[in-house]
Amino acid sequence: MKIRSSATLVGLFAVTLTLSACGSSDTTTTPSASAGSGSAAAPAGGGKVGIDFPRADSDFWNSYNKYAPKMATDLGIDLMPPTNSQNDVAKLVSNTQAMVSQGAKAIVMAPQDTGAIATTLDQLASKNIPVVTVDTRPDKGKTYMVVRADNRAYGEKACKFLGDQLKGKGKVVEFQGSLSSVNGRDRSEAFAECMKANYPGITVFAEPTEWEGPKASAALQTRLTQHPDINGIYMQAGGVFLAPTLQLLKSKNLLVPPTDPKHVFIVSNDGIPQEFQAIRDGQIDATVSQPADLYAKWALTYAKAALEGKTFAPGKTDHDSTIVDVGGGRLEDQLPAPLVTKENVDDPNLWGNQVK
Amino acid sequence: MTETTVASPGTPGGSQGSPGKARPGPSGFRIARFRDLALVPAILLLIVVGALIEPAFLSADNLTNVLQQQTELSLLVLAEAMILIAGKFDLSLESTVGLAPALGVGLVIPAASNGLGTDWPTTLGIPICLLIGVLIGAFNGLLILRFKLSAFIVTLGMLIVLRGLQIGFTGGQNLFALPESFLYLGNARWLGLPASIWICGIAYAIGILALGYFRHGRSIYAIGGNVDAARAAGVRTDRVVWIVFMIGGFLAALSGLLMTGRLGSVAAAQGDGMIFTVFAAAVIGGVSLDGGKGTLFGALCGVLVLGLINNILTLAGVSAQWIQAIYGGIILIALMLARVTSGKAQD
Repeated sequence: MKIRSSATLVGLFAVTLTLSACGSSDTTTTPSASAGSGSAAAPAGGGKVGIDFPRADSDFWNSYNKYAPKMATDLGIDLMPPTNSQNDVAKLVSNTQAMVSQGAKAIVMAPQDTGAIATTLDQLASKNIPVVTVDTRPDKGKTYMVVRADNRAYGEKACKFLGDQLKGKGKVVEFQGSLSSVNGRDRSEAFAECMKANYPGITVFAEPTEWEGPKASAALQTRLTQHPDINGIYMQAGGVFLAPTLQLLKSKNLLVPPTDPKHVFIVSNDGIPQEFQAIRDGQIDATVSQPADLYAKWALTYAKAALEGKTFAPGKTDHDSTIVDVGGGRLEDQLPAPLVTKENVDDPNLWGNQVK
Repeated sequence: MTETTVASPGTPGGSQGSPGKARPGPSGFRIARFRDLALVPAILLLIVVGALIEPAFLSADNLTNVLQQQTELSLLVLAEAMILIAGKFDLSLESTVGLAPALGVGLVIPAASNGLGTDWPTTLGIPICLLIGVLIGAFNGLLILRFKLSAFIVTLGMLIVLRGLQIGFTGGQNLFALPESFLYLGNARWLGLPASIWICGIAYAIGILALGYFRHGRSIYAIGGNVDAARAAGVRTDRVVWIVFMIGGFLAALSGLLMTGRLGSVAAAQGDGMIFTVFAAAVIGGVSLDGGKGTLFGALCGVLVLGLINNILTLAGVSAQWIQAIYGGIILIALMLARVTSGKAQD
């Protein structure tokens, strides 16, 4: 999600590595494959499906990475060993080329840089290889299906929840994700619009964080000194912001149960197990569960459907979601992302309760 | 010409000193102090601007926050400044910030909390963390000094390897279940100030004293200025540089420890991308990338400038779209101000 700033030097070095790796086409030198044993299932009709994981250093994506091979086995898909592009679009491009030369007939990817992937999508389209993207919608280029939660809904749900809890009055700090990613943009815009329209009595401090915990912690600490009466926090990614926020509130003696008038109301996004635990402990109040399991399931389902030559039309689906035409005939399946509060935190259907 | 540095000609600030009292004083000691002060006008200007923008800026709480938020960075800058002065490079410090506490924590917490399953006694956590930092520094030194490899490439490789090791050992998970001892240093307050500020202050005091007044410290300047001359003068150059690398690794691990305590978890990406800020602070503070020039006090000023800018931008509520452009712009203005007030070309 976050654009990592391991700048050009490292990037260049890594690119040279991966480029040299994909030069040896039909060997098994897929660059930095993680979670290896994916190709156990019997091949289904169409052919091999390649999958690239965007990163392996966040709790959310690690869960997705674990679900994917499992779901592939369930669906009877011949999944190639997954590659990992480490949040680097140059690596994603070379991984994709390697997968194609290894015979992938469909590709599942989650491009975190939604602009720079366009030419690769065009190349894949010219080879008639369908692409399913997960989590993000490329700015342009041909995709068979985009599997994504409605990120604007994240921002709106968080805004409504905070607004109602604070009864329309107060000061809220918002940890914005990177605005160069479509998810950070969608959440930020929807949250801001909803707050402005429905809760004019709430002051919002939008803090740019680039998805980095230390930046969020520093911003919150500064803001709390400036406005000690802050009573709400919206964090756009629980995986990176949860621990720093709780630690800071603890050191300021603000980590108190919801019944205490000093309680700071916190809404998060992601739905990792640690957030659920914090909800049970009364430390945070709600999170929007981003469906890691459904991402893996439906991405692979659509990849399989693509190989079988099926087509889809906009409208309601059979799994509580809506397929939307997002322009130019490109389809996006917007999966539901439930709001989790104290009432439903123990729901066994939430992916955060199924980990381990 | 000066008593504090051996390879003196290029130390930041230049011999003109700061305005007003700019004339070289009668004693070499005083000139040397002025040379360190090139960034002070920039810092003063930032403080005035901050106070104008937001009255809360000058509150003791806020200034303490600025210092505390910069402690981890300042330890890394201390390490990097010493290594740069010795004429070498270490890019791998930022990965040590993540790996050292990750291993220190991972080895002592139970496997159920994403630990490595070794379940060692929790008292070993912090010593392991610091020891790993020293070992990484020693290994860097081995490759660079014994095998005569380029410091830039060795530590670039190490940056990637160490980050990879951390993700490999932890499975990419953030470590949440920390032993109390890890949280202590990042949160405790001694005599009213956060412990991390005291630790940094002491580390810098030792560093400034050692590099300014002690033989081994001053030999670092000699090595960075001209390694052959230093060797001819009887300095055991390899040994000194090797020790500098180990101290660098130690400080990076300590910085990781403080960050872990302050943020309450070891993130898989902890320290990621920090090295560029570290270089920025060191170079703004007048440390030369060519070695042999610069002071630790100057580097500390560089850290303070960056910290103050961050704080002011947050207080002013600059929008996310513009914050990077403004941040970079202010750094350039601070540099120009230092150039004008010190009257000495920067390198």
